[in-house]
Amino acid sequence: MPLISAREVTKRYPTVTALDAFTVDLEPGIIGFVGANGAGKSTFIRILLGLLPPTSGRATVLGFDAQEQPLELRKWVGYMPEHDCLPLDVSGTEFVTHMGRMSGLRPSAARERAAEMLRHVGLHEERYRLIGSYSTGMKQRIKLAQSLAHDPRLLLLDEPTNGLDPEGRDEMLGLVERTGRDFGIAVLVTSHLLGEIERVCDTLVAIDAGKLRYCGPVAALTEQTQRLRVEVDDDAERMVERLRSRGLTVDAQGSDLMVGFRDESVFDVVRDVAAELGAPLARVELQRNRLEDLFRATGDIGQQEAAHV
Amino acid sequence: MSDATAAGTIYDLGYQHYDGERLGRANAIRTLVGYSFRSAFGIGRGERSKFVPIALALLCFAPVIIQVGMANADADPSRINFAEQAQFTNLFLVLLAAAQAPELLVVDRQLGVVSLYLSRSLRATDYAFAKLLALVGALLFYTLLPQVILFIGSLFVSGQPWQAFTQHWHTLGPIVVVSLAISCYMASIALALSSLAARKGYASASVIAFFLMLPVLAAIVMSLLPVHSMRYATLGNPIEVLNGFARWAFGIKARVSRFRQAGPTFGVENLYTLLGTIALAVGLLAYRFRRSDI
Repeated sequence: MPLISAREVTKRYPTVTALDAFTVDLEPGIIGFVGANGAGKSTFIRILLGLLPPTSGRATVLGFDAQEQPLELRKWVGYMPEHDCLPLDVSGTEFVTHMGRMSGLRPSAARERAAEMLRHVGLHEERYRLIGSYSTGMKQRIKLAQSLAHDPRLLLLDEPTNGLDPEGRDEMLGLVERTGRDFGIAVLVTSHLLGEIERVCDTLVAIDAGKLRYCGPVAALTEQTQRLRVEVDDDAERMVERLRSRGLTVDAQGSDLMVGFRDESVFDVVRDVAAELGAPLARVELQRNRLEDLFRATGDIGQQEAAHV
Repeated sequence: MSDATAAGTIYDLGYQHYDGERLGRANAIRTLVGYSFRSAFGIGRGERSKFVPIALALLCFAPVIIQVGMANADADPSRINFAEQAQFTNLFLVLLAAAQAPELLVVDRQLGVVSLYLSRSLRATDYAFAKLLALVGALLFYTLLPQVILFIGSLFVSGQPWQAFTQHWHTLGPIVVVSLAISCYMASIALALSSLAARKGYASASVIAFFLMLPVLAAIVMSLLPVHSMRYATLGNPIEVLNGFARWAFGIKARVSRFRQAGPTFGVENLYTLLGTIALAVGLLAYRFRRSDI
């Protein structure tokens, strides 16, 4: 039984098609779900929770049909929405305890687990403070804590790093990774930044304009999409020629060269070619993947204009 | 290993999975009713949210203390008037409903908390129903409890409480019915109007407008009607309907003489109006919460 299974799930709104015959089978692990804003990520999550009826198709989560058994399903799933969802005049402990009870825990178990989860997300010290006084980072972490309150089998995290500074992002991704690896809870985490979540995921699902674009292990994809950015002050054209003759793919924009990155040996080739030409290297940088690269790697470039991320 | 990490490991118990019972829908509704009931009194919330509930408690309970005190001092049971108490507190209850219904419904939606609730074992209509129960419960505190105290106080006027109780216990019937009717009426209307409002202020204003503007409208309509059908306009005045119902339930003759030539004042018709309005309001509330994707 797959963790999540979607069969031809389509969701149409009067003006847009949010999901278009979306079919995917996902196994437990940390699953990264990437796509531009508006690509259909949140719609998919809401369908998985049984909050939104699909126009057609069927989704099951942990063996429960999302449309037929949403209440049973939700006992085993934790959800962290993308947008604000916190009451402001309640303390952290009180809120997480309450959400634990709402998820089916008895009061004593809810209190115990709330304390544990607040410690896990690093809000132990602030647990008696009103949520309204929390920083953005703390609010994101308490959103995570409430989604874990009932020890779900699956965690659905919708853009957990949204609105965080780089340090906060790293912390959040660390928490996601720990939750998935050390706690053994399956996690589906969405992001519009591929480079960000590929670090913590085993499986990557890419969605674009409601269509599935990629589903598979992260490792296989990274090879396809990483690029080395080489900037030379002079001799760019000859540099491109030489690199191509050595079997590398090069995409040149003036003095900016994008070199397909297969493995570490690409560094050596670039260094050697630059030395041969005496070309002054201004920059050599391994670039993080962007969504466009992912879609380019998986074909169908024609429709990618929307994915400016 | 350094001392610091050794000390750290003592407290790091790792992640504990939960293997206990997972309760379902009924538990979720119960929990939400209890939590919302408490928050209607400002319990578990900031200092400021306690102001309205406490101020209104003073306004609703003060006349009870005064009536019981005066009746006992004069040994005059006629000082205690259950229908008067209900009529006197009605306007305060409007204020309470106008303040607390948006707290319960609009704030959840504005802050997005409702999406967390709906991701639990709870249907959207369950959520609305739980909020309704919580507000009815909170209003009962301000309607039923003063009446019960009044009743107990009245038993001591004669100096023979038990005997008084055996004689007057049947007054408890209308006490419960009138309190329930007022509470359900105000809670359902306040929540139905709040479910339409985008902000707390609009919701409060619409609830107050309902109870203050309708009487004005009813009066205008009344002035336009021929004499024999004037009395129907009173059914358009929510406060008059509640008062009329309370008088009818406690068996008190209305002192209104204006309509004498137009027939008797309404009794049971007030009950029908109340029930009809409650049904409409609950229907509107359920309709607003028919789907989970709010």
